[in-house]
Amino acid sequence: MRLRAALAATVGGALALAAGLAGAANAEAICTHDLRVLAQPRDGLTLLEKYKDEFKKLSGASFDIDYLNENDRRAKSRADASTVGKYNVYYIDEANVALFAKSKWIVPLLDYYPKEYDYADFDPGRQKVATFEDKVYFAPLTGGGDLLVYRKDLLDKAGIPVPKTLDEMIAAVKKLNDPDHGVYGIALRGQRGSGANVWRWMPYFRGFGGKWFDGDTPVFDGEPAVKATQVYLDLFKYSPPGTKTGSWDESTGAFLSGQVALLVESTPLAGEAIDPKVSKVVGKVGYAPPPTPLTGGGYAHGLAIAAKGNKDDAAKKCAGLFIAWATSKENEKRRLDDGEFGELNRTSIMTSDEFNQKFGADLGQALAATAKVTAVNFWQDPEWPNLGDHWGIELEELVTGTRTDIKGALDELNTYAKTLVANRK
Amino acid sequence: MKIRTHLPIVFTVPTMAVLAVLAFVPTVDAVNIALQNRELSNPDSVYVGFANFRALFSDARFLNSVWVSVEWELITVIATMAVAIPLAILMFEAISPKLRNALCVLFMVPVLLPRVSAAFVWRFAFHPLFGLAVYPLRLITGHPIDLLADPHTAMATVAIVDVWQWGLLFAVVIVKLLETLPRQPLEAALLDHARTWEVYAYVAMPMLRGALISLVFVKMIESLRAFDLIYVMTRGGPGITTETLDMYAFSQGFIESGRISYASSMAVLMMIATTVAFTILWRRVRRWQEA
Repeated sequence: MRLRAALAATVGGALALAAGLAGAANAEAICTHDLRVLAQPRDGLTLLEKYKDEFKKLSGASFDIDYLNENDRRAKSRADASTVGKYNVYYIDEANVALFAKSKWIVPLLDYYPKEYDYADFDPGRQKVATFEDKVYFAPLTGGGDLLVYRKDLLDKAGIPVPKTLDEMIAAVKKLNDPDHGVYGIALRGQRGSGANVWRWMPYFRGFGGKWFDGDTPVFDGEPAVKATQVYLDLFKYSPPGTKTGSWDESTGAFLSGQVALLVESTPLAGEAIDPKVSKVVGKVGYAPPPTPLTGGGYAHGLAIAAKGNKDDAAKKCAGLFIAWATSKENEKRRLDDGEFGELNRTSIMTSDEFNQKFGADLGQALAATAKVTAVNFWQDPEWPNLGDHWGIELEELVTGTRTDIKGALDELNTYAKTLVANRK
Repeated sequence: MKIRTHLPIVFTVPTMAVLAVLAFVPTVDAVNIALQNRELSNPDSVYVGFANFRALFSDARFLNSVWVSVEWELITVIATMAVAIPLAILMFEAISPKLRNALCVLFMVPVLLPRVSAAFVWRFAFHPLFGLAVYPLRLITGHPIDLLADPHTAMATVAIVDVWQWGLLFAVVIVKLLETLPRQPLEAALLDHARTWEVYAYVAMPMLRGALISLVFVKMIESLRAFDLIYVMTRGGPGITTETLDMYAFSQGFIESGRISYASSMAVLMMIATTVAFTILWRRVRRWQEA
């Protein structure tokens, strides 16, 4: 018995040491209540839930995660944060961090983030997205840019080299589109939303030289936006049915089931494409940076400390500890071991030998190449979701054909943008 | 007449009090918020009178959503009754009582299903590539058809799910009503050489007039609450073709801009409009029934 206890203590001690946890964290219970977390479904979080006991040992309390899909999660967290404040931790993304920070619905993270968890280890691009007015607000759970993901077998068969420019890509899409044999040239997102159709449209807009605002004056209503929209709508002729009102799930789903030749999508697709659990195209997929002049859509999602849900400093500390633990090196290592490519955010993990072994050198190279063209495409402002969602609806109307006048739609958005700026107090 | 007991008061007062609190407080609050300029992201607000209401009438999306709501109301109420009545007559005429009872149980299943789950199941069934419901269409035309993304078919497709839930239930109700009718008038009509459809059109249905009108009212109220169904299946899309008033209000309040005062003003208008419309309809119908 004593031997077992001694063994347990040694193993426990070694684990604690390896985890780099301060002894103080173990000494007293930091949390008094179970934490409530509002998030959107992520494999990394599902995996995390298996280690509830570990967190309980560390903090003295457990946690419960409620999941809602992206649009609903945004709506719910906004409603919760501005009214009752039931949740201790919110899942935040690039589109709403400015709004949440400005409205003081979340508090600066690093005030409550234990130093030993090494925030500086996160990918610098994601740190930048998590920062608003020089303060860090969330610890990333996912993020990245865009990749051109293509079917090597289809391109080889048609004798098409990997497209390096947008014109080459459009030509390839047209050539590879063969719906009678169940293959579509490309997959896009048509569903409304600043993080849905607008997200995929923005690389064209920014790539053609478009800008959202010049100071407080909207300047997006010009040639680049019209051209970007025209190209986007033209490409939609080669996108599978279901994507006109679909988003990430529908377009990557079509690709993973083998119905799409190529697409430009957010980097986590690369990990899914090689996962036999979800992909029918394992071994047939290649990666490249987005064709020029498209800019990669830099993004990050992560966990932030709720202001209203955590009444005092002790509660905020508890939430901070949870976030630090959830995004710790150890938990990222677990995600790496589980093959969850899209859930990795730490430089130390992404440059490890194990990462290279697991995902191959091509992907590493493509990621390095795409990092160079990754940009913040959206308007970094609390009003962005408002403007972006408004444009999302107009874009959905254009995609589905209930509206045809591109310039008219942009003019309308321009008027809307002006009222947004004018309403600022 | 002299009241011999206080029982009616004892029973009604507590319920009415609870009802008053439950209905009155949110209503007053909604009106109060509608007269301000509150936004979720801004704790300060001032009273702006009827500015929100005035803004609504120059908002093309609001006017669109009013029209969509009216359209949705008409389509679902008419289609539900158009499915329920013939189906009930068919069951009553052609099927043995035993089988009829079994079918009645079966027909109640859709409405027992939570609306959100039903909506998810059907949304998948209408998926252009994998959906079971559109598979025959795909075989016939040779092309995948995306009914929910086509502005011409989206509303009708969502309405199918609504009718699937309520039309079948109403058929069960009407069958049960038909079973309660006295046989004599129907037999008398048959003796007068009335054809089967004439028996139902001129004898049975007029006898059920009051019940059928109640069903129409129930469905009208129910159709106003189709938010969950539409939200899951189309989110008001494609574009704004299925964006009903409640969808738009929710969207303004919580999804897009957090303008809850603006959203509240829509809710208040909707409440006034439905109250007025229902009162007028109710009076008309009563006069017509008494005539």
